[in-house]
Amino acid sequence: MQNRISGLSYNSWRILNLAVITIFIALLVVRLNAVNQIVSQIVLNVTHSPFHKITATIQDLSSVNKQNRLLRDSLAVARLQIDALEEARRENIRLRSVLGFEPPPGYRLLPARVVSVTGGQLPISATINRGFYDSVVINQPVINQVGLVGRIQEVMPGYATVQCLTDPLNRVAVRVATSREMGIVRFLPNEGMILSDFPNQGAIEIADTILSSGLGQVYPPGLKVGVVTAVERPENTPYANIHLKPIVNFRSIEELFILIPEEQ
Amino acid sequence: MIRLIPYLLYLILTGAHVVILAQISSIYSVQINLAALLVLLVAIYKSELAGAWFGFFVGLVLSAGTPGLVGWHALWMTVLAVAAFHARERLNLDSLYAKLLLVLSGVLLHNILVLITTGATDFWYQFLTSAIPGAIYTAVAAWLFFLIKEDRITVKKIKALF
Repeated sequence: MQNRISGLSYNSWRILNLAVITIFIALLVVRLNAVNQIVSQIVLNVTHSPFHKITATIQDLSSVNKQNRLLRDSLAVARLQIDALEEARRENIRLRSVLGFEPPPGYRLLPARVVSVTGGQLPISATINRGFYDSVVINQPVINQVGLVGRIQEVMPGYATVQCLTDPLNRVAVRVATSREMGIVRFLPNEGMILSDFPNQGAIEIADTILSSGLGQVYPPGLKVGVVTAVERPENTPYANIHLKPIVNFRSIEELFILIPEEQ
Repeated sequence: MIRLIPYLLYLILTGAHVVILAQISSIYSVQINLAALLVLLVAIYKSELAGAWFGFFVGLVLSAGTPGLVGWHALWMTVLAVAAFHARERLNLDSLYAKLLLVLSGVLLHNILVLITTGATDFWYQFLTSAIPGAIYTAVAAWLFFLIKEDRITVKKIKALF
């Protein structure tokens, strides 16, 4: 320090430094606005500004994080709404296909919704949200917009159970749509839907439609039951082995119609 | 020039303290007066002129947000540095408590001067709730600093505790 300026003693150097500081301070204390502003601005830019930027960045990140959380919540809600709307759209499509669906003569349609189903691979019975209070009684036929589903098996005040055609105990008297020959449709767990008691020489071909015959007083005539997928005519037996594909997809039953006789 | 680097870092630390650290380290709005502490430490351990110049620049940093008070802050800090240097010359500062007493009185003096300069209307309230607790808080920080600097607290000793 003493050798900074040659020939200057430490005391003189000290006095010079203190004098310079005093002059600077005096300039600043008398508040020459321009000087104060410039000094403040320079100091702010050098020592404060970087930390202000850091603070602002941290605050920004914190606010972005908060915003992100809010947006995620909104997104989750929006996703749920989209799912609900998508489900409503599918229901709308199904119900539109039902519009204009005419019941068989002498019946009126009572719409019902499937509440639950029971069974293994295929449901053999379904619980619907209509019951005794809705004039539902045992043995009333149940259909959907495609064809025959089954019949009412059990009735409670607000609910009823539908015995589907897939129940091995359920049988339907039918006839072939083209030849009008008759048989009995039943469902065997290992073979699926078959047409039994059909004569070996009977007129039936693959892709023929099978309709309810109306015999038996349970199902009205003309309801679609299935489509022929295989016909075997073994020799020396009176009946043919005929396999059917059910017209109704029992795995996707949702909206059903109970056929209520008009006089009821 | 290299000898200036520590002082520049102290100035940057003062800026960081003003903007961020003062709020973070405050206890019930009582803040450490880091600027005064740094000036006093420089005055205790370095030369008179180093202390005076450092005090001057710390005053500028401390009052950068209030241009009207730049001169006063620079003046108080410079006076504090020169006064602390001369006190150091006249007192036996080998004792930790003497250094702490110097820091405590220096910071308290600075706090009082700042209160007077800013024209605080509730001076006594500020004095009791801010100036005195702030000086004590700063003295505690200085005490920790001296303990570490004089190797009374070392990593080895802390490890030995556990």
